[in-house]
Amino acid sequence: MNIFLQATFEGLSLGAVYSLVAIGFVLIFRATDVLSFAQPAMVVVGAGIISYFSTQIGIPFIVAFFLGIILTGVLGLILERTFLRPMVGEPVFSVAVLTIGIDILLRVVLDNWIGINPKYMGDPFPSYGNFGSFNMAGLTVKYLEVTALITALMLIFVLSVFFKKSKYGVAMRATSLDQEAALAQGINVGRVFGLVWFIAGLLAAFAGFFITGGFNTLTNTSFISALRALPAVVIGGLDSITGAVVGSLIIGLTQAYVGYYQFDIESAYNIKLGNGFSIVAPYVIMFVILIVKPDGLFGTEEVERV
Amino acid sequence: MSKRPDLFTSYQKEISIFPNNTQKFWFVTLLLSSIYICFIASDYWIILITNALLVSIAAWGLNIVSGLAGQINLAHGVFVGIGTYTSAVLGGVATRSVIGFEMDLLIWLPLSGIVAALIGVLISPIAVRLKGLNLGLVTLAFVFIGSHFFSNLTFITGGSGLGRKSAKLNILGIDFNSGYEIGNFLIQKNQILYLISLLVTVLLGLGVKNLVRSKTGRAFAAIRDRDIAAEALGINLFKYKATALAISCFYGGVAGALLTTTFGGVEPGTFNLLYSILFIAIVIIGGAGTVLGPLFGAFFYVLFPAIIQYVVLSSNLSEQDLLITPQQIERIIFGLFIILFLIFEPRGLWGIWFRLRNYFKAWPFSY
Repeated sequence: MNIFLQATFEGLSLGAVYSLVAIGFVLIFRATDVLSFAQPAMVVVGAGIISYFSTQIGIPFIVAFFLGIILTGVLGLILERTFLRPMVGEPVFSVAVLTIGIDILLRVVLDNWIGINPKYMGDPFPSYGNFGSFNMAGLTVKYLEVTALITALMLIFVLSVFFKKSKYGVAMRATSLDQEAALAQGINVGRVFGLVWFIAGLLAAFAGFFITGGFNTLTNTSFISALRALPAVVIGGLDSITGAVVGSLIIGLTQAYVGYYQFDIESAYNIKLGNGFSIVAPYVIMFVILIVKPDGLFGTEEVERV
Repeated sequence: MSKRPDLFTSYQKEISIFPNNTQKFWFVTLLLSSIYICFIASDYWIILITNALLVSIAAWGLNIVSGLAGQINLAHGVFVGIGTYTSAVLGGVATRSVIGFEMDLLIWLPLSGIVAALIGVLISPIAVRLKGLNLGLVTLAFVFIGSHFFSNLTFITGGSGLGRKSAKLNILGIDFNSGYEIGNFLIQKNQILYLISLLVTVLLGLGVKNLVRSKTGRAFAAIRDRDIAAEALGINLFKYKATALAISCFYGGVAGALLTTTFGGVEPGTFNLLYSILFIAIVIIGGAGTVLGPLFGAFFYVLFPAIIQYVVLSSNLSEQDLLITPQQIERIIFGLFIILFLIFEPRGLWGIWFRLRNYFKAWPFSY
């Protein structure tokens, strides 16, 4: 039972972090009809900038943290303006491939900077308590995970208020419904596009820190964990924010349960799932769900006309 | 050569593989000169060109499913991997850790294509149900599941980090692994591989050209342009999407089988996400949906690093002086080229070639 609770908690925290990336995907997809494969790279870029400022330049962690987040947002803004804006109205396939190009560019620069040795974030979390974790009712809980869970929930709440109440939130929702109609209503659609990429960048950087913070460290493979937000989005449905959150939680829980129970399952059924199955498990889940529901759990079914 | 090469008097003539004598002339000239190259060029260039030819076969495969039939496939590298391992198992030597049957090239080459195609057909029900971006994402899942299998099926692949030797080069019972002597003239293994690759490339290239003009090719184009409309016209979406995927996988499998034979060995980590994206880059840079595009893209991809390497070597800079390694420069330029070609020349290198050709057709008159 303890293992189950432990896995559940870790899964939820992981899922909450993935959901930040996933919401970024969904925002960009809804407003601009672009599926951004560059989003996982943005996650790593965010972590990289934070690590650079706090460990190499040596400014206080909290300043570096917010600086990194803002800068990643600005990077998103710049990417949208330079590469994505000329592609408005092009086929979705072309634009998606273009974001793969952006992804390669960002990752090459970053891989080169990270090198072989893992980079620390310079955050204070590992020094809290017993190597960054404390005991609660027999569970080992990491401070980083608790913070991740709380921050993610808060950000999701702030975002939902932003979409409902603020002027730009409403403009964004209008744009995602119909770009031309929004334009006709006097909404600056270009600015909304930029803003969406900015917010997606912010969220990516938040997630980047929580994925690589503490003892996790930033390595050349951090990108793979960030990429796991993709199956989350697909499970939830590409255009649903609720779906993104639910999908992320499913992915996070799957990963945690597989990590903890793989050995038990293997010995109980006498099968071999192989090393690193917890990395593949989210994709298997995505597979199964897509066979049953091609638009994801919460996605709107596409109405097609000839 | 006819005086009015663009005048077609019948539909049959218009869709023929070589519509005019100029094209026939260039095809034969290129073919003969590439056979001739085999006997004068150094080993370095022969291996390089062999690679380019094989990569273009794989790129043709991706082009069939993505460029012609319009279905995003981010997992082409996995199918190349399946072909690779089929060939390695059937044609390779068994060791303590891996299995191998030491079969003939004439058996393992077609079979590696067929096995890849069969796996393509197996997963096609999933791929057919989805479309557009969702399909792209599912194929992304194939990449991860595929590499999981590759690194865990150690009796086939040798396991990650270790790898295994590729297939042996026995054709019709004759062992070509250390060259072959005809009289007192020795043909190297590389030269034989080059000639085989050339033959396969020509055959499969003509196959693509033939496919484009056939009923199936037209159905692919209709599906790409608007699948609902295609369905309304009576095209069986399921059948044609599965066909496209199967043909694409066949090309990938054949290319993979020969590619690793040129390298001599293969490690399962090769077939990662970047490997699959590479083929997308090649198709985009070359020109999606065209027959010659992937060929251009593949030659660009293979020869470009050689040029970078040459520039780096000749500029007297040591690796430490440079901020980034030649491989990284390569990848940066690939990323940039994907972006720039998509924004400025969506038809890729083929588009540039097309415009050049048309310019010189009427030269010096611009119209």
